[in-house]
Amino acid sequence: MSSSDSPTLEVRNVSKTFDGVVRALDGVSMMVRENEIVSVVGENGAGKSTLMKILVGIHPPDVGEFYYEGVSVPFPRNPREALKRGVSIVYQEKGVIPHLKVYQFLFLGLEEKFTRLGRLQLERILGVAKEVLDELGVKCDITSYMYELPLSMQKMVEIVRAILAIRLEHGGAGADGVTPIIILDEPTAPLSLEERDELFSHLLELKKTSSFIFVSHIIPEVMEFSERIYVLRDGKLVAYHDLLREKVTEEELFREIVGRESHSYLWSKYVYGKPEELKERSIILSVKNLSKKGYYQDISFHLHKEECIGLFGPAGSGKSEIAKTIYGIIAPDSGTIVTNTKKAGSKDEPHHRLRMGVGYFSGETGKELFLYWPIRKNISLVNMEKVAKKPIKIVSIINFKAERSLAEKVMKKLRIRAPSVETECYSLSGGNKQKVSVGKWLERSPDILMLEDPTIGIDVGSREDIYEVLLEMKKSGISMILVSDDPKEYAILCDRIIFIKDGKLQKVYINEEFRKVMQL
Amino acid sequence: MRDKARKRSVALPVLSSTLRMLMRNPVSWLIIGLIALFTAKYPESFLSVTNLESILKVFVVTSMLSVGPTLVVLMGSIDLSYIGIWMFGGALVWLLFPYLGMASIFIYPVFGLAVGFSNGIVHVKTKIPSFILTLAVTAILAFSTTVIAYVIYGVLTLAVPEYRFLTGSLIPHLPNTLLLALPVLALSLFFMNFMKLGTYLCAIGSNEEGAELAGINVKKYKVLGFAVSGFLTGLGSIALYSYLGARAPVTLDLNDLVRGLAAIVLGGTPLVGGVGGPHRTLFGALAYTLIYIGLFLTGINPNHFKLYIGLTLLGAVWIVSRGLKGVLIS
Repeated sequence: MSSSDSPTLEVRNVSKTFDGVVRALDGVSMMVRENEIVSVVGENGAGKSTLMKILVGIHPPDVGEFYYEGVSVPFPRNPREALKRGVSIVYQEKGVIPHLKVYQFLFLGLEEKFTRLGRLQLERILGVAKEVLDELGVKCDITSYMYELPLSMQKMVEIVRAILAIRLEHGGAGADGVTPIIILDEPTAPLSLEERDELFSHLLELKKTSSFIFVSHIIPEVMEFSERIYVLRDGKLVAYHDLLREKVTEEELFREIVGRESHSYLWSKYVYGKPEELKERSIILSVKNLSKKGYYQDISFHLHKEECIGLFGPAGSGKSEIAKTIYGIIAPDSGTIVTNTKKAGSKDEPHHRLRMGVGYFSGETGKELFLYWPIRKNISLVNMEKVAKKPIKIVSIINFKAERSLAEKVMKKLRIRAPSVETECYSLSGGNKQKVSVGKWLERSPDILMLEDPTIGIDVGSREDIYEVLLEMKKSGISMILVSDDPKEYAILCDRIIFIKDGKLQKVYINEEFRKVMQL
Repeated sequence: MRDKARKRSVALPVLSSTLRMLMRNPVSWLIIGLIALFTAKYPESFLSVTNLESILKVFVVTSMLSVGPTLVVLMGSIDLSYIGIWMFGGALVWLLFPYLGMASIFIYPVFGLAVGFSNGIVHVKTKIPSFILTLAVTAILAFSTTVIAYVIYGVLTLAVPEYRFLTGSLIPHLPNTLLLALPVLALSLFFMNFMKLGTYLCAIGSNEEGAELAGINVKKYKVLGFAVSGFLTGLGSIALYSYLGARAPVTLDLNDLVRGLAAIVLGGTPLVGGVGGPHRTLFGALAYTLIYIGLFLTGINPNHFKLYIGLTLLGAVWIVSRGLKGVLIS
């Protein structure tokens, strides 16, 4: 066995509980060898980020062992100590400081060894920056500003910075002595397809001198670029694959990632629209030749009454941009959106669309809820017509009694567990927060409801509650358009599923076909 | 029994939530502390009728300069145009008096509304940070007032003696200034707590993206926020006009600019917006007033007075913001 086969970094039986109740990680072990790309995959809330934060010293684990180059050492207590153990992280977003020049950004926080009497030795910094970038094959002008670089290049500079930080901690900026382990937290999320390919070709190059832990939930990427895969679900390591020794299909991996108990009873309980039957229903929304450069091209479809359409496709396919366009968050370059009553203006904003009968529900509570507001106010926010009186046109006075009883009605209907309608939303559990968000739209009852990741980050039980509410809303006459990452969600909610890839409409499935294709 | 309690809280949710908030808001303890401190130290002068009257007056002035802008601060922007409105509006009253007669005082709310509205439009359209924009507006209006008085007309004040009747006390011991201020206070509380405007402004300050996604016309309500702020300041300026003896100042006093913001922040509406409101600002104004009057009673050298005000404010804001952290996150 060559020495490169023994792990550079290994953690064993790592467990972590938050607030003494939420079990984020439960006995997880993983290791990283020299010069390889290891993937850690899992859904939101599976524990990926917690594990990574433990590796870089942001969270201390409750229990666990840490081995660096075969020697047991304590867990790092802060990012600086993690650097000593050869580990650094590149975050998904917000890592880049746009108004710094490349060399300034590269050395941000690392200037220590490059100052004399408090003066920055600029010549040395510029020299080393150029050297390191050349050595790692990253071609960019070190005096340009970060924001001037394309996104994939910004990511690369971030990665180089992480490598540089580890190297400097271990003696020098040169390549010898240490194999940096760089954690990449969903690095491809903001990138276009071309940029993604470019990033990966760089990574394969960098692999010669470094190792990477690739955190992602985009299955094809993971399969293509990693040697080994760890699958986390609900804080546990549920599967492990060594792709050099065994074959795994995308479907298998997907099942392992999502692998919750089946929601199948939900789709057996509801009847989904068949093409011939859908034709007879009235059309609520038609989208015609919608295009937005760089996101999607020539998208056309009809949405019928009481129908739910899913826009399905890999991350970055343009599906969520289409949904955002329909709600007026993004303006399209060309194409028309017509509801049963009105044609949408090209410069519309969300409030115009809301008046046209389009609502937008996102599972990200940060977008939906005002956390320091009581439930009452959160629910009445989109239901002002119901709780406010208008003695004259421009004055609307809130009737607190109506506001309260509206909130009470929603709480009862959705079984929201909270002491009262005055309870501030931050104190609610994830599932209950989601119910408040969906409850306000339930009351508003728009003609069309856009759903973007409606159950992101909540537990199984609450998910099913939300599905039931949404299906009831559909039955009561609301049409919906769903965007999500979870095929099961489409199978449960949608009558038809539109498959979108690279911004183009590829194929339309009906529910049954979709389930067959997805083997659900 | 429970039913009864519930009914009452439905009828007065604002009062009950205000009370609840006050129990938790550190500014209440600051106020109680200041009152206790000054009563113990200056038992005769602090509680004397004259002093209580001047407390009332300073409180009214401070609150008139701060309730309007509170609505803007609430939505995460800042409105410093209140001094400009107060000063230039006074000049307008003086200039228009020969033509409009006694009605010219009503130019104040109209002018305030116009300034607020244009602030809002310019801020939303050009995206100039509201702090810079409204500071510039105040500077322009204030110095224009100075120019009108000193340079163009060569007078030292822009007083309109016909309005003297506004000063004094209609009801013994209750300055007219207070009577003129009460409608403004009531109106600001109404805007904030009973109209959807207040909810929307809060939503914008707390989470602008979320507000937009909830289908709120964010741009429109931003303009409205500035407009209402300007209107309230204009209306409040009538009270200030009576306080100064039927005139508005003609030179810019930094202290006036500070006291408006200080009352807002002391009251517990953080400058990033999202929480708070005019009801809190009233308590902030009271706290500021107590600090001001209290320092006055200490008899320190008037030349050092503003320095001490600054230092005390710094400490008070620090205490309040630390306490508020507990309120917000608890």
